[in-house]
Formats: sequence, C-alpha cells, structure tokens
Amino acid sequence: MNFKDYIKWDRMPTTWCPGCAIGTVFKQTAFALAELRLSPEEMTVVSGIGCSGRAAGYFNVDSVHSTHGRALPVAEGIKRANPRLKVVVFSGDGDLVGIGGNHLLHAARRDVDLAVICINNATYGMTGGQMAPTTPAGAKTLTSPHGSAYAPINIQGIVTSNRRHWFARASTFHIVHLQKAIREAVEWPGFAFIEVMGFCIENCGRRLGFLSGHEMLIKLKTDFKLKAGPEGPLGEFELGVVKNDGQIS
Amino acid sequence: MGNEAVACGALKAGMTFFAAYPITPASEIMHELAEHEPAIAFVHAEDEIASIHMAIGASLAGRKAMTSTSGPGMSLKQEGIGLAHMMEVPLVVVNVQRVGPSTGMPTLPAQGDILQAAHGSHGDYVPLVFYPSSVDECYRYTIEAFNAAEESRSPVILLLDGYLAHLQETIDLDAVSVDVRPRTLAPLGQGRRHFTGLLAKDGVPKTKDTAYYREWYARSKAKMLEAAAHYRFYDYHKNPTSRTLVIAYGITHRVITPLRGSYSLFKPIRMFPVLEDELRAAAAEHDKVVVVEMNDGQYRGEVQKVLRREILGISILGGTISLKEIRERLSEL
Repeated sequence: MNFKDYIKWDRMPTTWCPGCAIGTVFKQTAFALAELRLSPEEMTVVSGIGCSGRAAGYFNVDSVHSTHGRALPVAEGIKRANPRLKVVVFSGDGDLVGIGGNHLLHAARRDVDLAVICINNATYGMTGGQMAPTTPAGAKTLTSPHGSAYAPINIQGIVTSNRRHWFARASTFHIVHLQKAIREAVEWPGFAFIEVMGFCIENCGRRLGFLSGHEMLIKLKTDFKLKAGPEGPLGEFELGVVKNDGQIS
Repeated sequence: MGNEAVACGALKAGMTFFAAYPITPASEIMHELAEHEPAIAFVHAEDEIASIHMAIGASLAGRKAMTSTSGPGMSLKQEGIGLAHMMEVPLVVVNVQRVGPSTGMPTLPAQGDILQAAHGSHGDYVPLVFYPSSVDECYRYTIEAFNAAEESRSPVILLLDGYLAHLQETIDLDAVSVDVRPRTLAPLGQGRRHFTGLLAKDGVPKTKDTAYYREWYARSKAKMLEAAAHYRFYDYHKNPTSRTLVIAYGITHRVITPLRGSYSLFKPIRMFPVLEDELRAAAAEHDKVVVVEMNDGQYRGEVQKVLRREILGISILGGTISLKEIRERLSEL
C-alpha cells in the first residue's frame, strides 16, 4: 500500500485554510497507515464536528462523520460490534475534549481499543475562533476578548489517570515523531490518545499577532521539545509518549 | 413485564448490540439484556447521548442495535435520532414514558412524549413510531420495530409507558409469529463509503445546494412512507350501536377496553406516520370522535389534522388513570 491509496483524491482540495495544521496531520496519518499496511477493508475512520472532523471524508476508507463531540461513542459502538476493524478517531480538541469531554473520560476508563488523533489548535476554528477548553490562560479569542481567565485543560492528566493508558503529545512541526506516534497508537491494544499541537492561523493566530501559518509552525519548533527520557509525565512543552500496559511493576 | 418483553423481542429480532443508561421506568430492559452478555454486546454507557451514538456505530458496523430510555434520556437522544435519519442507520429507540417535563414524576406513567417522538430532533424528517398496549404486543412490536428499521433504514421509536413497562402478564412467546427481516446495510469495511450527518450526495457534502436538499428530502420522505405502508398496525373494534368513536393507545387503550360494550374503540399502534386512511374510515362511521390520552391533547391535534373536523378530547394527564373517571367523562360529552 502507498500513502496515496488512503486519500480520496477526487475530494481535493480540502476545506482547510492555507496555513492550517490539519493537512499535515492528515498526511502523516496516511503515511502511518501505509507503513502499517492496513487495507481499507480492515479499518475505519470516525470523526466528530469541526475543521478536523472533515478529515473522515477525505480518507479513502469507510468512514463516519458523526455529530459534535460524539466521535468516541460512535467509534466505541463500531469497535464493539466488529473488534476486527481498526478504528481511528480523527477530530479536534473542541470536539473530543470540549463537548465530548465526558465520552473521553469514559472511553479512556473503559480502555476501548481505539487510536484517537486529536488536533489541538487551542480554539474553535470552524465557528470563527472562540475559546476552547485548551485555550491558554490570557489568550484573546472571540469569547474571551479580554484574555481567557482559565488554565487550559490537562488532557494528559485525564488519559493517564487510568492505570492502563497510552498518551502521546506530538506537533505538526515534529512530523517524524508524529508519524511514529500514530503508528504506535493504531497498534496499541487499548485506548491510545495523541494530542497533536497544531495551530489555526485564520481564526486564532492572526488575532494573537501571528502573520502567517509558517510563523506559528516555527513557534511550535521553538516551544516544544522531545522529551529525552521515557520516565514520568510530559512537561507542558514536552513531546513524547507516556504509556502503561496496566501491569503493576 | 412489558420491559422484559421488549428485551425478549429484541433478542428474537436478532439484536446483538445494546447500549443504554439506567433510568426509571426503563431500567429493566437493561437488566434483562445485561444477562445475555457475551452473546450480545452490551454497554452500560456514560449517558444517553453516548448510548445512542454507540448503537449507531454498532449498526453501521453490521449489528442490529437498540437503546432504551425514558423521557429525560429521550431528550438527550434526539441528537442521535437526527443523525440516524440523516445517515440512514437502522436502529430501535425505546422510550418508556414517565411524567415530565424534566425529572417530573419519575415512577408514574404518562403519554406526554408523543409529539417529541415524532418531531423531537431538529429539522424535517418522517418518523416511524410504534406504541404497543400489552405485554404480548411489547414483544411482537419490538420485533416489528426492528423489521421496520431495516426496511426504512431509519431509527424506529418504540413507545411504552411506566404502567405498561411494569405490567405483569403471562404470554406465550412461541405463539407470536413474526418474520424477522435480515440486515440491509453492508457493514463498515467495504472500502470507501462516507457516512455523514451533513447533507451529502454519494458521500460528498452538498451543504450549499438547496435544490439537492429538496430532492433528497422528497426521496427520503417517499422511502419512509413506502416502508411505513408495510406496518399499518392498529386495532379497530366497531360497536354498531355507538355513534361515538373513542381513540386511545398504549396503557390508556388497555384501561378502556371494558367500554367496548358502549363505544367503538380505535387503537393506533403505528402512531406515526398517522394512519390516515384507517382513521378516516373509522371516523366516517361515527358522529363523535374522542381521543383519550395521558397528556394535554397531543395526539388529538394529530387526529384533528387528518380528519379536519372537531375532535373531542379527554386528557387524563400523567400520574394515575382510572376507568371510572374516563367512563364518567365520556358520558358527559
């Protein structure tokens, strides 16, 4: 299989704006699927609503674009109905962690065998750029014009609070790590969650003073570093994988 | 009891996926089906929204699926009902009605969710709703609800009420013979289909195309009505001496059955789409038409729309119901 086989070329161009992070994650996912040699008949992609949610329709496999926040329950129903299918969830932070937050808590607790790729652009992009649960404190958005008064949600904390867990943080700049993380998440027998840092220039970044998507990408490069050792949780600006197979060491 | 009969009917229909969240007075459906794991996939989900979406996922993946709840949960499930209509996913949703709005009177029955069952989710769609009135019918029409879901490729709603759900009756399951329709939807894993809640043509979103939306809706409506035509369930008892037709459904019909000696009784089982021809024919033979129901005239309005004449109503509202009260109020009309 070639990565091109996983993309519906007749659906190009995508709905995403120039400078958007989602295209990079979409492409690295296609690369990872090709490396895994998954046939389209043995997998499905599920998404919720939002810019990232549109990705499901661009993958050349049977896919489901569900309602806002409900990608995880739809994916869980699919996985339970047919455990042989590899189920990849591809959606955004507002969808999976905001409106779908309750499902995240419980899908992670039930350790459902899903690979969840969550693009964290720290905003609600499709609706124009409102404050998300992931928006950093102080950041100005349409619904936090004076700066967000709240600390962003700790996704790593939610996922890794379960004894058995698999969590990765990646970025759209560090694409080798991103692709490797996607591959490992699909292969992990249980709930695997990747938080992909990737920014939105059109509806978020330009209000914060960024001039281009490229400038935001370079910001990812300067801010985020791959964690050196395997031990312990990831720091706020660290990328890497945190996992526990549930065995008591 | 009615709830157990629903569980038995679902198993008979070939349901192999069930997800729900506990709620009075529907929980016994969950309790019964939990016993059947792992023969069926059973999920006690985190909420009603999750459970209907899990059922949608499971149905897409190839299993007959069901979820059950009561009024407060039904309000939450409306999101999934709309999605299932848009994506054309067969599914059965059971709503055991209690007194609302909101938490209301959780342990007492009502029939206040009739219009919600028809139009609870946003946007236009044609609903298929069944409402049995005995434990035997709970079993039979659960199977029929699965058949109708497969044929219409839509979420079919099965209404019960708190009394019917907890009604204890002896029934002979083997005496009920209903053919079971096989699955119609090819399961996920075929290659490149795209299921979406957006208006789409062959998996490609058509979100700015009004002409296509209208064409799509007409086709969807025709599909639903064609399927519904195979499920014209009702019960009509004509009393030649009566000039009054009494329409009642669910537990209310059950309660007024002893009035057969005095009135003609019509019981719609397929609540929606409304049985227009059957109602017109029955009403034509009578001077007065009365709808007796445990709500403030919800189905009466629907009947009036169809018959276009004055329809009398006896609203019992939720809570308790007595034959004596209904008999008296009927005699006053």
